[in-house]
Amino acid sequence: MTFILESGYAFWNPLIWIIVFLVVMIVVYFFRRRGQKKYKKDTDQAQIFLCGEEVPEAGERHIRVGNIYWGFFETLKEYYNQILRPHTGIVNDYVLWFVAATAVSAIILLIAGLAK
Amino acid sequence: MEYIPLNFPFLAAALLAGISFYIIIFRKNLIKLIMGVGMMSSGVNLFLVALGYRAGGNVPIYTDVPEGPMVLSVPQALTLTSIVINVAVLALMLSMVINVYRHTGSLDSEKSRKMKG
Amino acid sequence: MATLITHSPILIIAIPLVTAFLTPLIGMANRKVRDALVIVSLAFVVVLVFALARDVVINGIRVYTLGATSPDLTIPTGFMVPVRIILEVDGMSIFMGIIWSIVSLAAAIFSLSHIASETGQNRFYTLLLLMVAGGFGMMFTGDLFNLFVFLEIASISGAALIAFRIKFADTQEGGFKYIVISAIASLMVLFAIGLLYAQYNLLNIGAIAQVIQYTTLDKIALALLLIAFTMKAGMVPLHLWFPDAYSVAPASITGMLVITSHACMYAAFRVCFTLYGSMLDAPVAGWILIVFGLLSMFIGVTMAVFQKDVMRFMSYHAISQLGYMWVGVGVGLAVLGNAEFIAAYGRDAMSGGIFHILNHAMYKPLLFFTGGALFHCTGTRDLTKMGGLAHKMKWTTILYIIGTLSISGIPPLNGFSSKILIYESVYQFHPILTITGIITSILTLASFTKAFHSAFMGAELPEYKEVKEVPRSMVIAMVILAAGIVFITLFPSLVVDWTIHPAADALIDQEAYITAVMGAIP
Repeated sequence: MTFILESGYAFWNPLIWIIVFLVVMIVVYFFRRRGQKKYKKDTDQAQIFLCGEEVPEAGERHIRVGNIYWGFFETLKEYYNQILRPHTGIVNDYVLWFVAATAVSAIILLIAGLAK
Repeated sequence: MEYIPLNFPFLAAALLAGISFYIIIFRKNLIKLIMGVGMMSSGVNLFLVALGYRAGGNVPIYTDVPEGPMVLSVPQALTLTSIVINVAVLALMLSMVINVYRHTGSLDSEKSRKMKG
Repeated sequence: MATLITHSPILIIAIPLVTAFLTPLIGMANRKVRDALVIVSLAFVVVLVFALARDVVINGIRVYTLGATSPDLTIPTGFMVPVRIILEVDGMSIFMGIIWSIVSLAAAIFSLSHIASETGQNRFYTLLLLMVAGGFGMMFTGDLFNLFVFLEIASISGAALIAFRIKFADTQEGGFKYIVISAIASLMVLFAIGLLYAQYNLLNIGAIAQVIQYTTLDKIALALLLIAFTMKAGMVPLHLWFPDAYSVAPASITGMLVITSHACMYAAFRVCFTLYGSMLDAPVAGWILIVFGLLSMFIGVTMAVFQKDVMRFMSYHAISQLGYMWVGVGVGLAVLGNAEFIAAYGRDAMSGGIFHILNHAMYKPLLFFTGGALFHCTGTRDLTKMGGLAHKMKWTTILYIIGTLSISGIPPLNGFSSKILIYESVYQFHPILTITGIITSILTLASFTKAFHSAFMGAELPEYKEVKEVPRSMVIAMVILAAGIVFITLFPSLVVDWTIHPAADALIDQEAYITAVMGAIP
């Protein structure tokens, strides 16, 4: 079978997943077909219902990227403060990192060679 | 002068590379940074040429070789190629710095940066 | 046909190079002809690469000696060592070549309308084709100095392309950072090549690999080569220039630059596996790769969640995905020389890592192209200003979803099939690698959902009333890459058997690479 990928421990067949995906799609389509069709277009029936309040404009309704995952960033604030510190955006610092990494890995390789 | 002490060119190359790394890391002026890159390429080129040098060797352009050792020609070919490439790199860097200065009005690597994080 | 395949290693490099200098001439006369020439030459290169790939898989390594009377005359009569420049195409090189040819074709098609409003288009295509030639050269060469030359060709043209739109300030800054980093990295590569030349008087990879001693100078050269290529590939903590440069380039170029990162990664693998090979202190070098990979995976993805610029956000994801490959191949390197471990999990880990290169090369340019499509339509890269674009850009939305599901490793798409190979094999080496990988995958999905919501979902915004779907050539370029994703999804074992395993075996089998140049050892 060309579809099966042996990973060494298990196998992996995309066809099974595609069949599952198709079945789920059919079920979703079935539920969607049971929806209400006899509403009146271009009246308040097609509008968004927000407890009877005035619905804001499209631009204000959209949740912008800055507000998504607020809790995640709040929890990891300390981590982000630390991780943003090397990201200075100054080209000189980039070269410093290069020199440091080269020196460290050269020392590691030399010490490992001596240890043998 | 008959011949150069053996390690002298290598020390000079290392010194050039060291100075240029110092310039690139600690000088915030972009033009000075480019000078540092230029110096580094000179250091590497000197290192390559020094590799092929033989004390008292002949120039490697003869078909009928005179007596004695001959200077290695491969490192010289490498150096020529490297010099040509580095000219292109330096020219490109300078032209970009001109544009950076036009847009930001600054040649300082910290003041002219727009992107971080 | 046989002659064509014999000469194809050099033709694949030469055709883009010649076309590069023809385009400005023809472009002065007629734009349409120039565009057609660029596309046709790249398409021809794709055909040649596939023909060569079939040949390499069936007949083994193909060498091409430049300037010799016969292409397979690697060592001239009367000499003990190769003196000419030799192109050497084995399973790994041709694997990278396949990727590079497809992505460069897609990028050229995408550019047709993406840069249609810019001036200096002739020069754009010249640089683009030069970059293609440089990339192929890096992948196919069997000569260290030639590797440096092609690395410089790819970097110089790449930097010029990043800074192509000179009306924006950030492109100049990104291009400048890229060229500084490239210049320093390639000078250090040249320095390391000098160190190797000083000891062995050789420049050919196979010839050096035969006599290398792993002396102190060799160790320093290894550190220089490895870290220089690591920096050019953009691994944490040497990744800082990566988002700066990649987020400002035209989107088609960003897609190609990701593959030049892969080419530098390939060069690092080539140095570790083939140049040093059996002499290498494999566990130490392997762990260096793994540590870089782990840091890249985790820090890359956490930085990506944080970003608000769509291209920058995808650049950080590219960094985190590169980490998977380094972990996979690093595990293979760490157990190199131990046949038992290689058979148990080393080869599978390497196959996973290499398979991930292929998958990443399909979905990441696709995502960058959708980012470019967003920029094309809205005129901004800022996600905070976007919203509700799915109403207007249906193709882009669908293709973005395919890319997103693939990069997050959602079954049944191709990202999953390479990740499962990595997870299962790497677990046997050290469980922490798999755990980091899975956390990274989850965060990847989370951040792409965030970007999807903020750019495509929601009600139609009033400022984007006039937005239309992107031009047809951009859609075609994206569909080519999406078709690649679907193909790999449906036939994973076909792809693995024909391209991935030959590539992994080519890296492991150092002997074959040396024999192809030096002849059988008496």
